[in-house]
Amino acid sequence: MSPARAEVDKLYKEHFGKMVASLLYSSRDIDLETAEDIVQDSFSAALTDWQKNGLPFHPTGWLYKVCKNKALNKIRNHKRTQGLRDDLNLQDVEVKFAETAFDDQQLKLLFACAHPDLTPKTQVVITLKYVANLKVEAIARILAMTIDGVDKILLRARQKIKDEKILLEEPVLAALKPRLGIVHKILYLIFNEGYKSSWGKEILREELCEDALFMTKGLINSGLATKETNALYALMLFNAARFKARFGASGELLDLEKQDRSLWNTELILLATDFLVGARSNLLSSYHLEASIAFVHCTAKSFNTTDWKTIRQLYEQLLRNNPNPFVELNYAIALYYAGEKERAFAMLHELHRHPFFNQYCSLNVTLGKFYLLEGNAQKAKTFLERASTQTSFEKEKDLIRRLVSDAEAQVRSSNGKQV
Amino acid sequence: MQKFLLIIREDLKTIGRYTDEERFSNMPIMQKWIESIAESGNYVEGNPLEVKGRYVTRNEVLSDGPFIESKEGVSGFDIIKAENIEQAVAFAQACPLVLQGLAVIEVRPMSELTD
Repeated sequence: MSPARAEVDKLYKEHFGKMVASLLYSSRDIDLETAEDIVQDSFSAALTDWQKNGLPFHPTGWLYKVCKNKALNKIRNHKRTQGLRDDLNLQDVEVKFAETAFDDQQLKLLFACAHPDLTPKTQVVITLKYVANLKVEAIARILAMTIDGVDKILLRARQKIKDEKILLEEPVLAALKPRLGIVHKILYLIFNEGYKSSWGKEILREELCEDALFMTKGLINSGLATKETNALYALMLFNAARFKARFGASGELLDLEKQDRSLWNTELILLATDFLVGARSNLLSSYHLEASIAFVHCTAKSFNTTDWKTIRQLYEQLLRNNPNPFVELNYAIALYYAGEKERAFAMLHELHRHPFFNQYCSLNVTLGKFYLLEGNAQKAKTFLERASTQTSFEKEKDLIRRLVSDAEAQVRSSNGKQV
Repeated sequence: MQKFLLIIREDLKTIGRYTDEERFSNMPIMQKWIESIAESGNYVEGNPLEVKGRYVTRNEVLSDGPFIESKEGVSGFDIIKAENIEQAVAFAQACPLVLQGLAVIEVRPMSELTD
């Protein structure tokens, strides 16, 4: 990659959303689509110019200046065609060079993306676009969507952002606070997207987790954060600490039981614990509970010595906070390892009778695995084979295949004994 | 957040002729939709309904009811949590059955008494 291309990519990642927001903030004559076009144009101009003439002394300044000029031209042309007097105050479009890590502009954008009328998925897409500055193609790849699909979501969301007062005015603390819950959810979902193993080991996905961590830290530093934010941050850190151990030597997906715990990052675990302690509160949010579960896993010496009784209790509370069948599945797993096998199987079979959850790959894998552990290899095989038709992700299929061959080996050895 | 009932309406005459297997053949994509709602903590519960049922009025009990003939009969329901009705509608709009034109969804806020 040429130095010019590398620099443009780097600046795009840091400044795209900020530049768009600056333009919106500086002039009411610019709408979101125009602002995006202008910023996009500026980046193309930069690439062409820098490839020809080499990097300027101050690339960021160069970029903002070009962007400002393009915006001014646009506004002038616009006023002319409208036959209005050209009384534009040039100072209006003065943009500040914001180069701090996570600044007010990004914070404002983050809260603007947390529009309550939009679905969480849409909120995630626009946050990735305007706050994390990812390109449409990257967003499509990460979220397993088509480019067209992402574009459609953005198109609909633009109108909402355009209506946003908080993007155009100085945010009042009181106006932002009610949205904090939605902001937390967005950050949580972005981290999850990066963490989900389904798409396998991809650098891009770890970067997504880093983006989520970065934005959450920015929120904590902003003074808008609550105990819940700290709990969320702790949850992310606990999971990030286990990154390296989630895949085996040949890149295969490993379940918790088989992970090499010496690969877990103890510094991150300590940091996470600090934040969890700091998040202590009478009101326990789902993030508190999930972070506590992660804490118990992270501080267990081995899978077998894990304090499953505590985990089971935490899931019980989580289920009360957030009753849904997916949490029930996790609760059932905790029940099994905490020794309440009968209740676990009863819950799993109850879920299995449901026409929807019957189709849920993780449910069938869990049933398969537990029957395997109970020595009922035949039954295990049935559930596992069903599960393997329910995922399209190679790494998951591969994990299931390994379990099926375990089951087959068990069947063979028990047949052998009978003979 | 408020709770919403999503009432899924389909052509019962058509799905009444399906076997369970045929009817639930689009379950994997519905599953994805539900998973995405659950992932953000917005899903509570839901169920498809059988096509048969009883219809009760003051004067009569019709064993079959009008269900089997109904073009827009209730074929299932979901309960979700959402910030407001716009968000609930946005969830419903993303339902694969709606996108394929196979179903319409009625979105109704569930009444809750405040203390």
